[in-house]
Amino acid sequence: MGKVNISFTINGSSHQIDVEPQWTLLEMVREQLHLTGTKEGCGTGDCGACSMIVDGRLITSCCMLAPQADGSDVTTVEGLLANGDLHPVQQAFIETGGVQCGFCTPGMIMATKALLDRTPKPTLDDIREGLAGNLCRCTGYTKIYEAVMTASGQEI
Amino acid sequence: MAQETKTRDKAGDSEYTAVGKPTIRIEGVGKVTGQTKFADDLTFPHMLHAKVLGSPHAHARVKSVDTADARQHPGVEAVIAAADLPAYKMNPSNRRGVIFAVDEVLFQGQPIAAVLASDPHVAEEALALIKVEYEPLTAVTDPISAMEDGSPLVRSAISDVDRSEEKGHVTIDVEQEEAEGAPSNIASKINFSRGDVEAGFAEADCVVEQTWRSAMVHQSYIEPHATIADFDNSGELSVWTSTQAPFYVRDELCQTLGIHESKIRVTATEVGGGFGGKIFLTELITAALAIVVKRPVKYIMSRKEDMLAATPAPFAQVELKTGMKADGTLVALKARLIYDSGAFPGAPVMPGCLFVGGYYKCPNLHIEGFEVLTNKVSVGALRAPGAHNATHAIESHMDIMARELGLDPLEARMKNAVEEGDPLPSGQPYPRIGLKDCLRAISESDVWKRRREVEGQANRGVGVAIGGWIGGLQPASAIVGLNGDGTIDVTVGSADISGTNTSFQQIAAEVLNVPLSSVNVTTGDTKTAPYAGMSAGSKTTYTVGKAVKLAAEDAKRQMLDIAAQRFEASPDELSVADGKVHLDGDDDKVLTFARLGKMTTNFGARFAPVVGRGTMSTRKSAPGFSAQAAEVEIDPDTGAITVLGYAIVQDAGFAINPLSVEGQMQGGASQGLGIALSEEMKFDEEGRLLNANLLDYRLPTTRDLPPIETIIVEVPSEEGPYGARIIGEPSIVPGGATIANAVADAIGVRVTDIPITPERVLRALGKL
Ligand code: FES
Ligand code: FES
Repeated sequence: MGKVNISFTINGSSHQIDVEPQWTLLEMVREQLHLTGTKEGCGTGDCGACSMIVDGRLITSCCMLAPQADGSDVTTVEGLLANGDLHPVQQAFIETGGVQCGFCTPGMIMATKALLDRTPKPTLDDIREGLAGNLCRCTGYTKIYEAVMTASGQEI
Repeated sequence: MAQETKTRDKAGDSEYTAVGKPTIRIEGVGKVTGQTKFADDLTFPHMLHAKVLGSPHAHARVKSVDTADARQHPGVEAVIAAADLPAYKMNPSNRRGVIFAVDEVLFQGQPIAAVLASDPHVAEEALALIKVEYEPLTAVTDPISAMEDGSPLVRSAISDVDRSEEKGHVTIDVEQEEAEGAPSNIASKINFSRGDVEAGFAEADCVVEQTWRSAMVHQSYIEPHATIADFDNSGELSVWTSTQAPFYVRDELCQTLGIHESKIRVTATEVGGGFGGKIFLTELITAALAIVVKRPVKYIMSRKEDMLAATPAPFAQVELKTGMKADGTLVALKARLIYDSGAFPGAPVMPGCLFVGGYYKCPNLHIEGFEVLTNKVSVGALRAPGAHNATHAIESHMDIMARELGLDPLEARMKNAVEEGDPLPSGQPYPRIGLKDCLRAISESDVWKRRREVEGQANRGVGVAIGGWIGGLQPASAIVGLNGDGTIDVTVGSADISGTNTSFQQIAAEVLNVPLSSVNVTTGDTKTAPYAGMSAGSKTTYTVGKAVKLAAEDAKRQMLDIAAQRFEASPDELSVADGKVHLDGDDDKVLTFARLGKMTTNFGARFAPVVGRGTMSTRKSAPGFSAQAAEVEIDPDTGAITVLGYAIVQDAGFAINPLSVEGQMQGGASQGLGIALSEEMKFDEEGRLLNANLLDYRLPTTRDLPPIETIIVEVPSEEGPYGARIIGEPSIVPGGATIANAVADAIGVRVTDIPITPERVLRALGKL
């Protein structure tokens, strides 16, 4: 099968590239664009490690084909730094201990950003619902709840 | 939030400036920005991707492997099966000594051959072109019937079993008998006795006898196993791998491949979760492939492969009989533990036997353990390997007996809890421990206090359980150097899987009295780092942390000596503070670390570089205990369990970094909750795994877990740095029993198997 030419924006910069039609968005971003911040934990849509925000929606990039990103605006964890400063969500994850091994972290941070974009002051229930697609095996989530509360400027 | 996390608050009264304070992770920025490089994030020029063909059968004879078509597939660089490898020093009795199956496959997913290609998709496609002719054999899947005389055999006889990996997790002198005589599926036996158990039961007012089962579970780190290997023409092997145990990987590669340890460089990349499961697995096969092609080879397990063919934690059956007197004194304990080892020996039945009778003083006990082979993937370590299975049984019994005798379950535990000097079932006495302190603290937790309120409410219950772990011991060393600009570099050989490098930063900052920002910590590779044992057995802070402290003290001594010469004073008149050496009582006599750095590194400098060295070895363990409490609600129609509240107490000895100690406690507790509620590897009768993915193998999600109330207690260990003791493992141990006891409290009947799924609840209620 021949390659497919697609254009999209990722983390604010525009790209036009040829991709293998059967490649996933995750593969394209990691292997072709060399943005390795986004992780693969399962490849089947079950862990959330590969979460990205595409056109404002949280998606699992292991389940989206690269050509489907044609014309889209993609944000990965690499796109959160602003002039080298950490995004408040990133800062909160570090401060509260919401990061342990760090493998779920990029996806968890993207899921948190998507949640806060929708619900700027989430309750604990909102958080538990909003992050339910992202598995973390290290933290038991307690400190992740605290991170989201902190990032949204709420008392723990 | 529903429940607030309580932290030991010593900030005000601490005598320390750096240790004992909540400290953010030294590598945190890299992890939240995605810059941290995990093994799969690395690439090398001319690198090939490996894909591995696993056996579809759990037990079969391999009659032929034909790789000709796969080799012809465009883009394939090599196809390698057992016959293509040199004659390495294999040991078919040990999982670690086998690369590809030869003649016989023993579990589903066992590697048969590998394809190498620049494009991983091409390698994957070519797997389908390898033709393997199998003759299926009887798959033995149930360890209980596998023990019977006349059971079909799982495999050819085993001999020379290497238990070195298990010793990294729990180090204790106990003899495990290798099975002898007629061929059988029993790989080893273990036996502990004390007193006269029948006389003990005769004395008891309450005797409970029950069989308990706990499922095979998977560590389910979110990063699957990942390794890159390269072999150059000088005969040097380099390995970058997600391992908890770089030196152990080196040693194992040396033994099997026959390459000197000095010619092997193992770099432990950031570990995306290990929990005992990332010790040594993909390294051997990847190294063997790289040696064949003399190009870098990357092997990343798919989630499915990792579920099928890594080293999960065993199914166990525990047959337990216990007797208690009316006043709550435990008088007799008889146990038979059967651990399903899978196709190779290595099941942690020994720790199971230690802990089933090791939490409480009991004058009469008889414990037998069996490690039984089956045609399933062979097991390995998961956080306190083997302990949760046994704990589920004994901690359920303590509850049942207390209930029958009308005693408070915490008081019944308190009355019998082991203390310093009490023997383990193996006879070794406990050093100083904090079990009773944990029991006292859990009685003060919000979750346990809700018991009175919950009493009498239908389908709600509160339960409690304890658990502990002894930990592993291995010698350790560390280097602390002063840089030319006055900053400090700490170099260790231990993989940082739990925030230990941050604790080392705190320890060095404490000793040298400098801000944390002046200290950096690096895990070196096996060629450049000083030796450290595997980051397993909860021993890293306890052993390597001690070495860092000694190394920092050595560096400080060297700095004081130089300053003493400079000021013509004695080193005892000097002290360090704020990155300077001060002559006490003379404000003008100050030497900054930056100045000292220059004085020891510049061209023509008069003084030698400051390089502090710390080495340690200890035979004394620092066991850790945890007490946990849960409040649950059961839906009587669906059997669903909701965890409304959960509390964990753990004795940390001294929490060098309370932030990461809490994180370890919460993480371990959540894994215990997975074991309690949903995690179970399910096999069909042919030994095929039915749920090799993270949808059907259910890990706890945010929907399942409330915030965990977290209480650190501190009973200092005798030898750990600042009194620290083992941290990582005890937290996983009590979860199964805690939930089992809460469920029994809620519905009045016992579910004897974990995980306690809705189906099992409905069965216990007689609704299925
Ligand atoms: S890698 Fe995409 S959901 Fe797990
Ligand atoms: S921090 Fe390890 S999986 Fe979340």
